[in-house]
Amino acid sequence: MSPLLEVKGLKVDFHLENRIVHAVEGVDLQVRRNETVVLAGESGSGKTITTLALTRILPAPARIVAGQVLLEGRDMLALEEKKLYSIRGGVIAYIFQEPASFLNPVLTIGEQIVEAVIWHQRLGRQEAQDQGRELLRQVRIAEADRVFNSFPHQLSGGMNQRAFIAMALACKPSLLIADEPTTSLDVTIEAEILKLLTELKEKVGFSLLFITHNLAIARKISQRIYVMYRGRVVENGLTEDIFKDPKHFHTRELIAAYHKIGKL
Amino acid sequence: MLNYIIKRFLGMIPVLFGVSIVSFAVISLAPGRFSSLDQAMNPKVSAQYQMRLNRAFNLDKPVHVRYFLWLKDLARLDLGRSFVDNRPVAAKILERVPVTVGINALSLLVVFLVAIPVGIRAATKEGGAFDTATAVFSFVMLSVPAFWLALLLMQLFCIHLGWLPISGLHSLDFDYFPPVRRFLDVAWHLILPVFVSSVAGLAVISRYMRSSILEALQQPYIYTALAKGLPQRTVLYKHALRNALLPIVTLAGLSIPGLLGGSVIFESIFALPGLGQLFFQAVMARDIPLIMAEVVLGALLTVAGNLIADISYACVDPRIRYK
Amino acid sequence: MKDNPYLFWGLAIILMLSATALFAPLISPFDPSSIDSQGLLMAPCARHPLGTDGLGRDLLSRMIYGARISLSVGIIAVGISILLGLILGSCAGFYGRIADALIMRFADIMLCFPTFFLILAVIAVVEPSIYNIMIVIGLTSWMGPARLIRGEILSLKEREFIQAERALGASDARIIIRHLVPNAVGPVLVNATLGIAGAILLESSLSFLGLGVQPPVPSWGNILIESKSTLGIAWWITVFPGLAILITILGFNFIAEGLKKIIG
Repeated sequence: MSPLLEVKGLKVDFHLENRIVHAVEGVDLQVRRNETVVLAGESGSGKTITTLALTRILPAPARIVAGQVLLEGRDMLALEEKKLYSIRGGVIAYIFQEPASFLNPVLTIGEQIVEAVIWHQRLGRQEAQDQGRELLRQVRIAEADRVFNSFPHQLSGGMNQRAFIAMALACKPSLLIADEPTTSLDVTIEAEILKLLTELKEKVGFSLLFITHNLAIARKISQRIYVMYRGRVVENGLTEDIFKDPKHFHTRELIAAYHKIGKL
Repeated sequence: MLNYIIKRFLGMIPVLFGVSIVSFAVISLAPGRFSSLDQAMNPKVSAQYQMRLNRAFNLDKPVHVRYFLWLKDLARLDLGRSFVDNRPVAAKILERVPVTVGINALSLLVVFLVAIPVGIRAATKEGGAFDTATAVFSFVMLSVPAFWLALLLMQLFCIHLGWLPISGLHSLDFDYFPPVRRFLDVAWHLILPVFVSSVAGLAVISRYMRSSILEALQQPYIYTALAKGLPQRTVLYKHALRNALLPIVTLAGLSIPGLLGGSVIFESIFALPGLGQLFFQAVMARDIPLIMAEVVLGALLTVAGNLIADISYACVDPRIRYK
Repeated sequence: MKDNPYLFWGLAIILMLSATALFAPLISPFDPSSIDSQGLLMAPCARHPLGTDGLGRDLLSRMIYGARISLSVGIIAVGISILLGLILGSCAGFYGRIADALIMRFADIMLCFPTFFLILAVIAVVEPSIYNIMIVIGLTSWMGPARLIRGEILSLKEREFIQAERALGASDARIIIRHLVPNAVGPVLVNATLGIAGAILLESSLSFLGLGVQPPVPSWGNILIESKSTLGIAWWITVFPGLAILITILGFNFIAEGLKKIIG
């Protein structure tokens, strides 16, 4: 069976005022159905840009210059912009590092969930709102009604991230890309969010592409790991194999950092 | 929210107190060693003038007593009588308010109605022909003396082409017009003044709107909106625009001092009977009570503008509204 | 210079203008107040390239002398405001607490007045003259520079090397001059250039209203007084002095824009 997502030779350049920076320099990557894959690497190694390139929501100076992104066999890079609307959120959904800044500060949580539901599922407002509240309950938010009517600044980081997950899952994506979703949270909340994600994955069924620089998380949740360094995938394999026998020095650095944290 | 408003109101008190002291101080430069020019030219007029000053400002009393007496009158809205025609200053000012407020409100309306769409378009087509053209226009309009622009447009539209009236608020036979024609007549007279007084605002606010949109479009939540699959249009008009408009809301309040200052120039050029023209006449005639009243009024309006700016910002930004 | 056309053109305009002002007696074809018996309100011709005014004075010569007025009012007024701003702003920033509160509150209060109203009120009680105009504009526009300099000082005070120098016993004045000046010079220069443009605009408006530079001394603003009564008769009286003001202000705004680019 072909993988859900297959990335081949992806290259992304940043066209800055007076120079060009090669942010992603030929990345190959696969995600199978219902699998959890970790994309690891230091900040600035091109992890985020790679994942944003999958649905072409890159910042303005970035250009995809080469490669293929095959989603269920279809090349995303060849699709016209309008065709991508149904894929973004509908097939590939994202959650990001800092929910507080990735949520729109002037719209309620409810509105931000509902607009996606209405847009993708063509539901009426009332139905969409009911579904939105249900989604919030699904991510274990006790006071779903209050959160629904709240603005992001009124909620804690963990609560925002839960709501964000609800929003991302609103349209039943096949692939959830989680870009360091727990980095801005404290450790206990981090554990809760990770637990929630794995549970939802079991229950709802989606593939998870998890970006992190923290291999402790990788070990806990993933079957396979890709390690990125300076725009390239320098190592990949089964999680256990990589921990047992890291080949690239950057992987060893990340593992060393993991052991250090373990000791603390 | 209510707390916020109350706090802002209380915060105004020391400011208003300061404003009254500065206003008083400015005018107190005058009495006593006043107007050497007049005195030299016409000792009799000047002696009369001096007597009036003495009476109006209790010049025989020490400064701080004078200040408090003035403040007491001010609090009772007793602004004294004009030196020129002996009418109460308050009445003279009040009859002038509608013209100035009306024209400035109109030009603010024009500014926002035009500048916001222009700014949005310039931002979405960043670097394009429209963006460049509006950038050049703004740069030039910020450098052009408004009174000169008024003179040029008068020369073109009123004299060469004869399309617009050269001055005043309405035609001579205005009183005989039916209501609809009266309205049209006033509108016709206001085209040029409103346009000229909007120009600077247009230049500033369209650019401000542009950079505000561009900044909003770089915010993280825009990626979220895109990642949800929302179409460009929704991302721009719902997610970016709502955030970009927040700071714009305050600009209306903050542009009050500039508009008032401009009124002095436009109203004298176009012979419009507003506060600016009154102030100009007062300055020419050295009508001190009127000048003081206008300075205080100008400051009050500015303070009120700041307050409106803050409160309206608080109203539109949920981060302040729900705190 | 090549990659900063704003600065280039701005400086070119202002340097040419300054040369004109400086060498006015050498350049100007006539004495600015000499009357040509051949004609009043003569249109531009070989003898009078920009025509003559209602008294038969050469417009070009009057404008050349007017450049002296505009530039000196602009520069001196801004000199006063920057000096005041520097003194008040650095006192507020450096000594903090009461000094800071008093000075900044005072600045807030000054900002509550429409500048034009304040200036006119002062002009009403002192007599309008070029010197009074300079002083009044200076006295009513120090708030911006003061805030700017205070801000620079506050951010500078936090830096370690300043605290080290203080600990080593460097005097306040020494620290201000050695460290503040190089740090603040850029923003202050931008502020000053914009300030000069503003002051020239103010002066011309005041003179146009008859409350600025008094005839027979020629200033661009007071030459324009006559244009009100010659509208439709002598276009040159309206067009040329206004163009001179426009170009001068454009020049200063260009310089400010160019400086902003350099500071980044």
